[in-house]
Amino acid sequence: MLDRAGEKSQALQAGGDNLRKVAFRGGGFSPKTSRYAGLLALAVVIVLWQAAGSLSLVNPIFLPSPLAIARAIVQLASSGALWQHLAYSMMRIGTGWLLGTVAGIIVGFAIGLSTLARSVGITFISALFPIPKIALLPLLILWLGIGEEPKIATIALGVFFSTAISVYSGVDAVPRNLIRMAQSFNVPFLTIVRRVVWPGALPSILAGFRITASIALLLVVSAEMIGAEYGIGAFVLQAGNLMQTDQLLAGVVILSLFGLLVGWLISRLEKRLLHWR
Amino acid sequence: MKFTSIEKPASRLKSRMKAFELFFLTLVLTLTISVSARADDALKARVGVLKLSSSAPVFIAQDKGYFRDAGLDIDLKFFDAAQPIAVATTSGDVDIGVTAFTAGLYNLAGKGTLKVIGGMSRAKAGYPLIGYFASNKAYANGLKTPKDLAGKRVAVTQIGSSFHYSLGLLADRDGFRLSDIRVVPLQSLSNVAAALKGETVDAALLPVSAARKLMDDGGAKLLGWVGDETPWQVGAVFASPRTLEKKALVTKFLAAIARADREYHDVILAAVAGGKAPINDKTRPLLEIIAKYTNLPLEQVVGNCAYIDPEGRLDVKNVAHQIAWLQGEGFVDKGVTVDAIIAKDFVKPD
Repeated sequence: MLDRAGEKSQALQAGGDNLRKVAFRGGGFSPKTSRYAGLLALAVVIVLWQAAGSLSLVNPIFLPSPLAIARAIVQLASSGALWQHLAYSMMRIGTGWLLGTVAGIIVGFAIGLSTLARSVGITFISALFPIPKIALLPLLILWLGIGEEPKIATIALGVFFSTAISVYSGVDAVPRNLIRMAQSFNVPFLTIVRRVVWPGALPSILAGFRITASIALLLVVSAEMIGAEYGIGAFVLQAGNLMQTDQLLAGVVILSLFGLLVGWLISRLEKRLLHWR
Repeated sequence: MKFTSIEKPASRLKSRMKAFELFFLTLVLTLTISVSARADDALKARVGVLKLSSSAPVFIAQDKGYFRDAGLDIDLKFFDAAQPIAVATTSGDVDIGVTAFTAGLYNLAGKGTLKVIGGMSRAKAGYPLIGYFASNKAYANGLKTPKDLAGKRVAVTQIGSSFHYSLGLLADRDGFRLSDIRVVPLQSLSNVAAALKGETVDAALLPVSAARKLMDDGGAKLLGWVGDETPWQVGAVFASPRTLEKKALVTKFLAAIARADREYHDVILAAVAGGKAPINDKTRPLLEIIAKYTNLPLEQVVGNCAYIDPEGRLDVKNVAHQIAWLQGEGFVDKGVTVDAIIAKDFVKPD
């Protein structure tokens, strides 16, 4: 083998006069995130935005300036209301997300592994997933009242369907030959699930987490339409009702900071759990 | 070779001239269209209203051609909730709005994006508009009159809405604090109705139109009408500053509305007894107009007749009270005054 390869390269070198030299081109695309560029772009946008506000190019009702929003956040924080709102919202988001995720993982695995669950489950998920949760609010109120239950249920429902879908497609994507090999070695079913299917499906489950965490944040506003006294969603709704647009955007900024934090946490989780990749 | 080189520029010149001609023609056309449109614009307005009988005079004026008689071209735009009308007036999507006062409306008006130009519906004794309703369970447990609402969980649509203010008026009159009531904002009328029916709140404030079905089905018990307990100026007509510059338009619009106000008052409101208007030869034509615009059967319209001043006057003193109350609760920015948000040239005070 080696000899032949050597012969070949010699032959190539011999005919080298006719060959064109080509620079290395196969670098592939490898976008890297530069922290500074992102921050700089954000800063430029904020400065332009503030300038538009300060020069009164835009009506402050339509677009409050970043300073006005910052002032509203500081005011909210110093009055202590911010922490109360955050505590309530985090409790609802956390509980709802956890319930939805656990249920979604169980159902997703069932669909990925069993014929019966697959045929029934996919039909139900396809039928129920596209229902806007907000349209169900009156029904949720009738069923569950106006306490914490319907708020948590709204978030859990939203999270559940996405999780179930990402889990079963993750399970489907686990290399079949690995599963077959484990089966040939007579590995018990549960061990296959734990040692082969679970780690194989984990990347797409974690990618699903990224989406469901955002869904939970999106739904907290709908959930807190149900008679919430405290909560970031309730705060945003009240600001909207009262047309206090600076406060409204303050609430939105807090939600998006929360989203950034959750995204960062999931990245950490991915690094820890998927170090084998 | 020679041939083409001569011909090419010539044809290019020709086509360029054609394009120029076309461009010029389009320009002239657009100009004429926009000029003629501007001439019409002076008496043209888009009016934002709710499909509720509390805007009855607007429907009557439109249907019976009172706007047309005044030379106006009015285009009605229908909305689902009060607040979006105020927002649409601010953004310029409608020129004139007719709806209930809310904290949001005052906050917008305080920034100078709209001004009140006339009065509309009022909560007044004898005319159902906003009611206090108890859930069946709470009613059985002794919640029988509006006075008993102290200490209860009461659903409203939104913080700073007409319902919230009505509750505040009741608290002031009966000497309890609003903080004694647990006000539950549920964002939409259907959510409030569901909470009341599901007995997860003790009581709720609802407009008569939304509560009618609930009352008839036995889903809730009526405790009383806000108009009987604490009358106040619920609705108003307001306009954007750009509309206010067209004095002729606003004056003519208000005159046409006043004409309809008078007719609505004399024909329907004067005949209302026991909270209901009779259906007879006199009232039927107007009731049918209201039924048409509100998409309700005639039998329901007769019980929904909100009181409206026959001259379109505004209870300015009450408006000042609303602002002060909402500011006290922290819902309206400090510095908003009644003088600043009312267009004095047009408003007829009580």
